[in-house]
Amino acid sequence: MTTRRVKGIGELPRDIPPSRDLWPAIAEAIQADLAMKAVPGTGRRVGWWPAVGLAASVALVAVGVFIGKNFKPDEAPPRLVNTLTPASDAGMVKASLRQIEYEKQRDQLWNEVQAKLATMSPAEREKVGKSLATLKQSIQEIKDALGHDPANALLQELFVSTSQEEMRVLTTVRDSGRQEL
Amino acid sequence: MRESGIRSLWALCALGVLPLACAASENSVDRKVAADAKGEVLISNVSGTVDVRGWDRNEVQVTGQLDEDVERVDVETSSGRTVIKVILPKGSHDEGDAMLEIQVPRASSVEVSAVSADVSSKGVVGTQRLKTVSGEITAEVSGEDSEVRSVSGDITVHGNGKPGSLRVSSVSGGLDLTNGAGKLDVVTVSGDARVHMGESSEITARTTSGEVELHARLSKDARASVESVSGDLTLDLGNAAGLALEIESFSGDITGCLAGGVERVSKYGPGVRLNSRTGDGSARVRAKTLSGDIEICDR
Repeated sequence: MTTRRVKGIGELPRDIPPSRDLWPAIAEAIQADLAMKAVPGTGRRVGWWPAVGLAASVALVAVGVFIGKNFKPDEAPPRLVNTLTPASDAGMVKASLRQIEYEKQRDQLWNEVQAKLATMSPAEREKVGKSLATLKQSIQEIKDALGHDPANALLQELFVSTSQEEMRVLTTVRDSGRQEL
Repeated sequence: MRESGIRSLWALCALGVLPLACAASENSVDRKVAADAKGEVLISNVSGTVDVRGWDRNEVQVTGQLDEDVERVDVETSSGRTVIKVILPKGSHDEGDAMLEIQVPRASSVEVSAVSADVSSKGVVGTQRLKTVSGEITAEVSGEDSEVRSVSGDITVHGNGKPGSLRVSSVSGGLDLTNGAGKLDVVTVSGDARVHMGESSEITARTTSGEVELHARLSKDARASVESVSGDLTLDLGNAAGLALEIESFSGDITGCLAGGVERVSKYGPGVRLNSRTGDGSARVRAKTLSGDIEICDR
């Protein structure tokens, strides 16, 4: 490699091309941003969750989404597959999109379950409602703990399995009665 | 359940107080059809009871009492498959009780689906799939592959001690399993689970806030995995050859006769774990909680 001393600013080149094409990742990030804005109630995540925790949890939640989406009540629960890969720009974008899709599905399921609860007897509604509240609270507790210790493998594992469990239970309650008969 | 109301009505009927009313308000069913010795029997009932009994005849017999809100009970059989279905009038709000007793060939594969009906089974040695929303389930299972599931109803399962595969789950109901063996998968959200297993090769148990009490004799190379968020775990797992333990809790305690080597996960943060082995460690035990306590013993 040869070097030459630059005597004036005018000698510097006006453009320096990047070593690789950056546009695909930028375009994907813009699309993801637009998609986030298009979904009510979802904004860019801010604050305490460090990037590594976000990457890990989003990837892990994606497993939950996949399993939740493909869960059929009559099938045995699928085995957990560790899909953690080194975070890349594109990977983060995809994980964010999956997160949005997961949250949409989960919120929809919760709404459907609320409607189902309304058809239950008061005693049953109270019993099942308490369990669902417990589940929700447990996930929040794990998330809070992950906020303090995002790389904790135990918390990540519990987060994935509890998120899966939430989807399984919501599906079970929503379909109860209907699937039985 | 409206069972007590129906019983009172029958008591009045027996006394002759309301004979006409009884004749008008209750119907009975008594049907018998030929069935395969190892055929399928599918039963659905919304409310009331379903009592399944295995017998040594190649017939399915359905007997019972029907509430006035029940339209009829269909019993159909073809190609080794018998379907028994309680039919409610269209627009009904699932309020008709049907109290059914169903005799099936002992080796039948039985599937029961109910909403608020209580379900019981006895003497069936084939595969069983018992599901209810809020009814209670009491089942005897033996060998084969069985599944018992409820949303809020309690579940009681008694095995015959022979290896099989059993899946039991409930959202808020409690689970009580005795004399099981082989493979077991237990899931609850807030219900407590009490499990007594004989020789077991694979056990998975998971709860969110319920307590899990697991007693089992693990076979060589067995796997047991128990997980909870806030529920406490009591594990009494024996294995003649030895256990390899991988126990961890984020903020709960680990105690018990095998908890000698408990260590902190981090010098500054929370968390305790126990990684140890007894004997050759051929049976592996994993237990994890967020805040639930874990008690582990091999007595």
